[in-house]
Amino acid sequence: MHGEYKTPGGKLVVADFAVADGTLREVTISGDFFLYPDEALRDIVSALEGAPSTASEEELAARIQAVLTPDVTLLGFSPEAIGRAVRRGLGAA
Amino acid sequence: MSVEISAERQQVIAKVVDSWRGLGWQLLREEPLAPALNVALDEVLTRRVGAGERPPTVRFWSWAAQAVIIGRFQSVRNEVREEEALARDVAIVRRITGGGAMFVQPDATITYSIYLPERYVEGLSFAESYAALDSWVVATLRDLGVDAWYAPLNDITSAEGKIGGAAQARRAKAVLHHTTIAYQMDTEEMAKILRIGQEKLSDKGIASAAKRVSPLRRQTDLPRAAIVERLTDGFRERFGLVAGELSAEECAAAAALVAEQYGTDGWTHDLP
Repeated sequence: MHGEYKTPGGKLVVADFAVADGTLREVTISGDFFLYPDEALRDIVSALEGAPSTASEEELAARIQAVLTPDVTLLGFSPEAIGRAVRRGLGAA
Repeated sequence: MSVEISAERQQVIAKVVDSWRGLGWQLLREEPLAPALNVALDEVLTRRVGAGERPPTVRFWSWAAQAVIIGRFQSVRNEVREEEALARDVAIVRRITGGGAMFVQPDATITYSIYLPERYVEGLSFAESYAALDSWVVATLRDLGVDAWYAPLNDITSAEGKIGGAAQARRAKAVLHHTTIAYQMDTEEMAKILRIGQEKLSDKGIASAAKRVSPLRRQTDLPRAAIVERLTDGFRERFGLVAGELSAEECAAAAALVAEQYGTDGWTHDLP
């Protein structure tokens, strides 16, 4: 599955993943966003890995928010933007 | 997301920018380097500045070969037509900063990096530090008669279109801020190599990336080298600048990083 969402005035988020047994697998999040520190991307991806494919944009965003430590800065995108890219990949923006 | 910076914060930014005067800035002039080496040098110099092994530095880049430089978090597949790039001898290099892919050709872009200890941007948000670190360029371009301004988060723009884009990374308590300005653009060649999806242009109100960018050549008659010279002067007038050189140690460290990381397929395809 492949979904893209660009935050208006911000950056593009691309979600690539598979769905198996009703859950997200092999998730990749990419895009022209800024994220400090780099390693936070791993945490974001693991928050999505195994999420139910029925999860809403808000639920996906909450899963991501839960793993972001205070030292992480997202510039030009947000947990909600990632959630929306995933939902678009699932065919339900 | 693209929030204008308030007048009050503009003043804070101006004060921070003023504090950069007289830091003993060192200038590294353009020198054509292989794309991966150019990118590796950014990491080496950032760490050296962070460790206090070199003064705050501004480096102008030059490209020995054409290349696509992709952002830290971009997927190669989504951004680049790899077979086309390979067939045309266009290297693909992943840099350490976020942001978008850029197609660079020798003498078609103006690229510079600023390396300074993080403490000199203290009090600024990440977004504000972008505007601060390009403020001297916007002012210098305006002096050249180009009606440029900063468009948060990371663009230098004009009424005719985007002129340049910046990206930052932080390593070892130092800030790396680099910006690429389009001087001229081979839009046909670029369109063959880069993929630019419609979603990316969704909030731009335009149909193609070529129309989105307005290279400086369309806005001034000055040759590229003269613009680089004026930018260098603009930096010197504001902050002071002494001529510097890459040390043998720095060159060796960058070459080692190319071998270990920036020149490897694993790093380039870190996000396939």
